[in-house]
Amino acid sequence: MEAPARTTDVRPVAARLQRLVIRDFRNLADVTLVVPPGGLALVGDNGHGKTNLLEAVYYLHLFRSLRGARDVELVRFGATTFHIGAEAAGARRDRLSVGFEKETGRRRILLDGVPCPRVSDALGALPSVAFSPADVALVAGGPGGRRHWLDVTLASTSARYLGSLRDYRAALSQRNAALRARSRSSPPAVWEPAMAEHGAALRLARAEFIDWARPRVTESGMSLGERGLVEARYRCGDPLLPGATLDDAREAIAATLAAGRDRDLERGSTLQGPHRDDIEIRLDGVSLRRYGSAGQQRTAAIALRLLECAWYRERGGTEPVLLLDDPVAELDRGRAARVLAAITAREGGQVLLAVPRADDIPAALTALPRFRVRDGTISPWSDADA
Amino acid sequence: MSAIDDLAAELAKLPGIGKKTAMRLTYHLLKQPSDRSLRLAQALEVLAERVHPCPRCHNLTEQDLCAICSDPRRDASVICAVEEASDIWAIERSGEYRGVYHVLGGRLSPLDGVSASDLTVNHLVERVAAGEVREVIMATNPSVEGEATALLVQQALGAAPVRVSRIARGLPMGGDLEYADGVTIAQALVARRDMVQDSR
Ligand SMILES: [Zn+2]
Repeated sequence: MEAPARTTDVRPVAARLQRLVIRDFRNLADVTLVVPPGGLALVGDNGHGKTNLLEAVYYLHLFRSLRGARDVELVRFGATTFHIGAEAAGARRDRLSVGFEKETGRRRILLDGVPCPRVSDALGALPSVAFSPADVALVAGGPGGRRHWLDVTLASTSARYLGSLRDYRAALSQRNAALRARSRSSPPAVWEPAMAEHGAALRLARAEFIDWARPRVTESGMSLGERGLVEARYRCGDPLLPGATLDDAREAIAATLAAGRDRDLERGSTLQGPHRDDIEIRLDGVSLRRYGSAGQQRTAAIALRLLECAWYRERGGTEPVLLLDDPVAELDRGRAARVLAAITAREGGQVLLAVPRADDIPAALTALPRFRVRDGTISPWSDADA
Repeated sequence: MSAIDDLAAELAKLPGIGKKTAMRLTYHLLKQPSDRSLRLAQALEVLAERVHPCPRCHNLTEQDLCAICSDPRRDASVICAVEEASDIWAIERSGEYRGVYHVLGGRLSPLDGVSASDLTVNHLVERVAAGEVREVIMATNPSVEGEATALLVQQALGAAPVRVSRIARGLPMGGDLEYADGVTIAQALVARRDMVQDSR
């Protein structure tokens, strides 16, 4: 496979949030915030709304909750709709707006004032990457979280990937329903060609991503101070040989599905396929998920987030906004310092940092203008807050 | 419930019409001369009472057989299978097709409880077995469900000595036939491909 062209001489444009307006999102009733070019630091106790603000900004990337909540759960208690609006520079759009009405379940996305009925066209409108201590689950948790991360990252830069993902999932749910129907007039086999076709596209894109990622993960591991060799491997149900084509991948999936049909019928579910693939992160050949220390797992999770940034920068052409939710909480000092150095190494990217106390602002980010978050309101920092 | 609310509620059940539009239409009907509203009511009544599926192809008609099945100039040896009767209108618009049709009455979707027995697949197999059919063109939508439906029909026709073809994917994936323009549909028909019997 050909190496992607190095683009060090072409500096990607940094996406910058300039103005943010939030209404009735989580506990944020009414927030209007002018965001400085370099970003800002939000200081406030847990539960007062700083993570909610980061979640609102991330919503303009994925148009889904960062924490996996449903849209109805995002509407402030007692309110009927939520709204997030932003003015941005360097992103694909200058003005973004999304509103959701609880009663009708209707969502309206406006990009530069034009309605965008399909969320697939809005994805990554304001690219951002969120770092949080909960990311450790990416490494320590089950394969579902890693697959979701991989799918979101790839779909954010490729409408084709998103389309394949949607069609693969549609065919998979139909096959599962057919397996459970156990009826001669609803054969599961007719869903398999679509699963094979779209699943093959997913697998080739994933394999290409891992090839791209492999040296970067190792490099990140070193700069984050891991003494051993950190590696990322694609664990694909039907391993792809080097140079495998779309046809090869499709035939492999079709054969696996056909061979597993009787067992799947018994279990009422499709037990093999691209929806079960995983990424394995290893340190010196040993799975970090199973055998890594908490610190190693945190570090590896941060390496995955840095990878996400690099992907948007190199493939999407845009330096994403960084949303840092107490990024080095619970890390020892040496790790914390290296992590922050790695995160802030990128030039010119905007950073939105959220920490409980001003003392928690890392030295590298003390220049960020500070804001106080209290009971869902945001106000500029005053010396009385110190 | 008032008569106004009643009508608005009924209109709002139509596809693409929200509560606001339903209200606006209701008030529009009230403003126009009453004989025009009555003509609309009569047209709806006739529609509901007289229009029925054609016993041969399940197209909608007021006659014993639909206009296409009863037209001697149509080539009855080629059957184009579509999901809905409204798809016939879309293909007719292309002006290229001279065969007859078979309306399947939907698409396979076990998630929604729709299986082959809810569609007119068996009737299509009978039509092919009974007559001089050379070719069945599968013109279900290019969606995941449309493709599976095409495959299902192809497998059901497996034993019959008939060519089964699939319209080309000139249409955007997930795009409905109903919304494609005539030229696109004509191209998709011309570029149709044989569906190959899967041995697995
Ligand atoms: Zn007819």
